[in-house]
Amino acid sequence: MNYLYHLIIYFEIYAIVAMSLNLLIGYGGLLQVAHAAYYGIGAYTAALLWTKLGWGFFPGLAVGAFAAGVLSLLVSLPAWRFKGDYFVMISIAVQTLIYATLYNWTDLTNGPFGISGIARPVMAGYSFVTTGSITVLYGVLATGLGMVMALLKWSPFGRALQAMRDDELAAYSIGIPVNWLKLQAFALASAMVGIAGGLYASYVSYIDPTSFSLDESILMLSMVVIGGTGNVRGPLTGAAVLILLPEALRFLQLPDAVAANVRLLAYGLLLILMMHLRPQGLAGTYRYQ
Amino acid sequence: MQIFLNGLLQGILFGAIGVAFALVYRTTKVFHLALGGIGALAPYLVITTIAVGLPAWMAAVLAVFTAVCLGVLIDESIHWPFSRKRAPAEVHLIASLGAYIVIVQCIALTWGNETQVLRIGVDQTWTVFEVTLAQAQVLGPVLTLLATVALFIWLNGANRGLELRALADNPILVSLLGRNVRVLRRWVFGLSAALASIAALAVAWDVGFDPHIGLKAVLLGMVAMIIGGTGSFIGPFLGGVLLGVLRAEVVWFGSARWEEAVTFTLLGLFLFFRPQGIFARKVRLEEGA
Repeated sequence: MNYLYHLIIYFEIYAIVAMSLNLLIGYGGLLQVAHAAYYGIGAYTAALLWTKLGWGFFPGLAVGAFAAGVLSLLVSLPAWRFKGDYFVMISIAVQTLIYATLYNWTDLTNGPFGISGIARPVMAGYSFVTTGSITVLYGVLATGLGMVMALLKWSPFGRALQAMRDDELAAYSIGIPVNWLKLQAFALASAMVGIAGGLYASYVSYIDPTSFSLDESILMLSMVVIGGTGNVRGPLTGAAVLILLPEALRFLQLPDAVAANVRLLAYGLLLILMMHLRPQGLAGTYRYQ
Repeated sequence: MQIFLNGLLQGILFGAIGVAFALVYRTTKVFHLALGGIGALAPYLVITTIAVGLPAWMAAVLAVFTAVCLGVLIDESIHWPFSRKRAPAEVHLIASLGAYIVIVQCIALTWGNETQVLRIGVDQTWTVFEVTLAQAQVLGPVLTLLATVALFIWLNGANRGLELRALADNPILVSLLGRNVRVLRRWVFGLSAALASIAALAVAWDVGFDPHIGLKAVLLGMVAMIIGGTGSFIGPFLGGVLLGVLRAEVVWFGSARWEEAVTFTLLGLFLFFRPQGIFARKVRLEEGA
């Protein structure tokens, strides 16, 4: 039973990650691979506030999200000028820089050794120690953020974002402030993935920079691409595939050393097949044109 | 002087990878991440064929030949169909990422994740003017340099080379003039794979290899291309040499841990302030893309 809870918690965390990335890729058409860096900023900020300064669960989480949101300027300002391949290059650069900072700023982040002993969430005197209670807490948070995402799609903000995705010049010409919109979208998405990072840190109680590398960003991107973009259903499907694929592969009785490779192999194949057969992803609505 | 030469030799390899990347990027606008997988495959093929009992030179030729076939296969199965559908850059990029993941995981499944070495025993070293260089460190880059020079002579001399350069300037015009773009693309992807695998063999001979070196190498090639400029084929090579020297100096005067950060800061600076690269020549407005 605990194992099932564990899977559900991971699904909830990855659902938040996928939904926030979908805000950029699916609603905004801004393909990027720096998402794991912001996940990391959220996780590190919250973890440092909790362990070093003894802050409460929610204040730490909020400041982590805020830090990720502010630092999202690193990618959103370049987004004013760059598109497509060049923007992807910029986001790779940002991802590498933030990763290098997390890895090398040993005084603050403890470098490659990471931060350990992060406490489980505490709210109003009640401590979420069992996996069951964490499942509920994270489930409530993920559902709340999911509802925000669903509402956002049909809000003026979401519609403006989608208009910008489909034709930036036309959107600009009818008075949509595209640059300001990009700043907002990145800040929102980064803050959201920052929350996911904080939740992750609190659940596993130990973080180190390798969880926030370029490879992780690529994995997040594939999750969203496979699941689908442009609605809320798509990223949720992507997160479910990410969680369920290893479980499905378990039936093949692969040795442990090989299982991880087979999982990634399946991911790569799915990416190619998706681009050929179903560019909008399993449950998505938006496709690149 | 020692540092400078080390960097120079490294830089030649980066330059070759940059040229391989630019060869595809300039002509087809494909962000060829799969090149990393192709390059990573070459040393493994050499190890296996040598174990079977073939002489080393034959193993190398065989590995490069396989890489060429793989490169062409990737274009035929992935990028050519997408280009025909006029798919946007993002689709190419994601599919190429998928191909990269598939190749790398296949390598890891077949040969394992561990770092391996091609070299046997202690290398011969040469000392000239207080500069000590190892045999593998020099021979690999020199051979790669020869291959690159041969490629440039061919590009500038042969009819086929002329057609490739025309493809980089204006693919639609090339097809209107009755050239078979599909055949030209096979050349592009094949040559790029050949050059990348030669550079990869040189790296593997000198410092060893594991399945995951490819992505880093391609990203370095990409940075080399941006520094040198996307306007020519020679630019990326010089950009790579510059990058190699610079990285060596950073390691010597600063710390190896900031190597990547410096590389990608450079990428960002160039994209912002000199997107045409250092070695760009002035082009008429309607000529430049």
